[in-house]
Amino acid sequence: MGIQGNHLPAGKSTAVNFKDRCQKLWFFTGRQKQLCSLNENVMNAVGHGARLAIEECQYQFNMLRWNCSTFSDSDSIFGAVTTIKSRETAFIHAITSAGVAYSITRACTKGDLTDCNCDTRKRGKKPRKQWQWGGCSEDIHFGEKFSRDFVDSHEPGDSAQGMMNLHNNEAGRRIIRSRMQRVCKCHGMSGSCSVRVCWRKLPSFRQVGDALSARFEGASSVKLVEKKKKNVKKLRAATKGLKQPNNTELVYLEDSPDYCEKNETLGILGTHGRICNRGSPGLDGCKLLCCGRGYQTRVREVEEKCRCRFVWCCNVLCEKCRFKKEEHICN
Amino acid sequence: MTGTVLENLSGRKLAVLVSFFLICQIVCFLIGGLIAPKPSITDSVLSTKCIDTSNNSDEWFYTRGPKPCRSVDLSHFMYEEQSLFANQIVFVFQIPSPRETVLLDYSRWQQNLVGILHLDVLYHSQNEMAPRTVLTIDAKLGYQNKHDPPDKWTYYASSVERRNLDCVMEQKKDLYPYNCSIVPLFELGSLHHDYYLLNIRLPVDKGRNAKLGHVADIWLFAINQTGGFTKVWLSLKCVFFPSIIGILIWFLRRISGLKRKPQVLETMLIIVALSLTLLNAPVELLTLFFDLPFMLLLTDIRQGIFYAALLSFWLVFSAEHLMEVQKKSLKEYWPYFSSVVVGCVSLFIFELCERGIQLKNPFYSIWVTDAGTKLAMALLVIGGLCGIGYLILLCYLIWKVFCNIGTKRASLPALSQARKLHYSGIIYRFNFLMIATVVCAALTMVTFCLGQVSEGQFKWEEYDGLEYTSAFFTGVYGMWNIYIFSLLVLYAPSHKHWPSQADLSIPTNEIEFSCLEPEPSEISSLTTFAKKTALD
Repeated sequence: MGIQGNHLPAGKSTAVNFKDRCQKLWFFTGRQKQLCSLNENVMNAVGHGARLAIEECQYQFNMLRWNCSTFSDSDSIFGAVTTIKSRETAFIHAITSAGVAYSITRACTKGDLTDCNCDTRKRGKKPRKQWQWGGCSEDIHFGEKFSRDFVDSHEPGDSAQGMMNLHNNEAGRRIIRSRMQRVCKCHGMSGSCSVRVCWRKLPSFRQVGDALSARFEGASSVKLVEKKKKNVKKLRAATKGLKQPNNTELVYLEDSPDYCEKNETLGILGTHGRICNRGSPGLDGCKLLCCGRGYQTRVREVEEKCRCRFVWCCNVLCEKCRFKKEEHICN
Repeated sequence: MTGTVLENLSGRKLAVLVSFFLICQIVCFLIGGLIAPKPSITDSVLSTKCIDTSNNSDEWFYTRGPKPCRSVDLSHFMYEEQSLFANQIVFVFQIPSPRETVLLDYSRWQQNLVGILHLDVLYHSQNEMAPRTVLTIDAKLGYQNKHDPPDKWTYYASSVERRNLDCVMEQKKDLYPYNCSIVPLFELGSLHHDYYLLNIRLPVDKGRNAKLGHVADIWLFAINQTGGFTKVWLSLKCVFFPSIIGILIWFLRRISGLKRKPQVLETMLIIVALSLTLLNAPVELLTLFFDLPFMLLLTDIRQGIFYAALLSFWLVFSAEHLMEVQKKSLKEYWPYFSSVVVGCVSLFIFELCERGIQLKNPFYSIWVTDAGTKLAMALLVIGGLCGIGYLILLCYLIWKVFCNIGTKRASLPALSQARKLHYSGIIYRFNFLMIATVVCAALTMVTFCLGQVSEGQFKWEEYDGLEYTSAFFTGVYGMWNIYIFSLLVLYAPSHKHWPSQADLSIPTNEIEFSCLEPEPSEISSLTTFAKKTALD
């Protein structure tokens, strides 16, 4: 899956060796190596998508006990915490698969990728003919398809964890589509609305992150239900009487570990030394974030840019101000 | 030689004819729904931000081809990086985008191209944007054809345009995107070349773009008609064009066979049929061989002429059946036509101001300047008022016709059995056509509204099966063709004599019918009926 995408060297490689490089990436499955070898830009887009996902995760979890911390020296970028089938793992999977789908879609609309499908629904028709007859479908279809192909190929579909991850991957992708913004334009006779064209615009990834963050809070606990006779495995709500989670909701199998204390084996940093909000009653408040251990307040004198005047595109005229900043730090 | 075909047609024949028309109508609807793709498609293209190191505005910047430009990412704003100037950033759109490793190209069947910009502006608490900002766009459009060398771009048009940009935001958080309005940029009336390249700069000098926020990206939405729709549409035109001409020739021959001059209603029918022929003429086929940017304007004008003729026809049709004093020539109807003429002329001027000037400068829009907006609004308001005036006049006339028919019908029982049967038949058929007109108009309205509503709740998921928008267009287009066709058939002067037909049904009342025979100059026996009942 794309979590390891961050391991890819960020710089551009030469055209000759990118195929070799794809084969050398040990954490890729066969299908992923195959997709990687397609085109150099494909891997750049996947890597960009993974980075986008991590940045977004860190933005959304900035003030939570687990703040989406990453490790550059570990095999897995988020540490062993992703082996626990928790809410957080659900979010990571969703945002990563969404990040890949988003980044591939953007690369398609930019014209960076030449492999984007014209119409993912109609098979066998030559793209040029299809384009000139009825036009191509939206790029998000290709982005989703690619993400499904690439990210999902990592998951075994028959285990409970695999099913949970697949569900969350799909939920992440669907969030993008559900946040797409509808735009319409009239261009009929004399500018009348007898001919109206509508299309959808890709949301910003921040909006996708916000939506997924809301889904994270409302994630449902599920368990694996096996019907041996029919050989069907399904994820069902853990408690009877609760609504079955639909395709856009996140699901998890286990409760989250304790993120308060440092845990080396799981890669949890703990909340010691984190900055908290004193007045806030929420999760970012000192009471909850510091897990009841209390906090210290320190006053620092800082020098920051202020009263900035911003001129498109590239001029920011700022003054430097010195002021005292109060910070609360968890014990 | 009396009356029209409609009055002399037996019920069975009429039923056969009507069902034939209905079948044609359904076929038209299904052709659009099942064969044609949706009428137009939108391609979303995200800009590539290129750096113009030399500040040379004559150069073309492109992303695909030899020596593509050097690009930057503007989403992460670098406070330190001061070396870049706004005038050096070129937003590049190269359309169409490649798919499945095939370099797509525009086909001339795709007819026209509309370009719309959408700016992704990010919020910075230090630099809040006003809800309305004036945006200055320096745009340059070029094209390339298949056999051109890959780095040769030919100049098509360029302009420095001002547009209003409305940006709002509910939750103000740093680096969140504003919700900005779309910015219509250009309209090309012909899509003659294979590839297009759009280079855009947002220059900052002399106070221009000074209040613009942090533009992270620009989207271009390129709208063009689908080739499939054009093919289906032109095939329909190729069928309707000869059929309307054929039936018009038949109609003219019938009229020329008469001893009298054509009646007002007949002249009007000829005019409507001619205007429809003008609309039906598949001149769009020429765009496959020549670059004709005025085709969009021409199509609008042809459509306008047809609507004007049809609206005038309805007025004359209703007024002619008032069963009051007959007007002998079309000229006497001029006060009736005034609303149609004024409305059409104002819309025509508007059309010339918008699409006419776009022939010179595809980036032009009348809505940008205050004076232009006022002029456009004034023209549209005049058009709208004329439309309302027309509707009131038409409704009044129709209401009066129905009132007159009602009073005449009340006097029917006093007549003999044969005349009663005959006259109620005429009234029935007149009503029938009246209702057909209303049904046609209503169907157009209803399908249009349904289309708008279904667009509103459009299911974006997989959408196979009936293509509603195309079906609406071909259905409505076919309907008005069939409508005019049927009018030409049913309102042509009849060869049949009444007595001979009446003989079969009521053979005993020969004398009464012979006295019913109207003068050869009468067009509709309904008016005869009016006079006869007055005599009674």
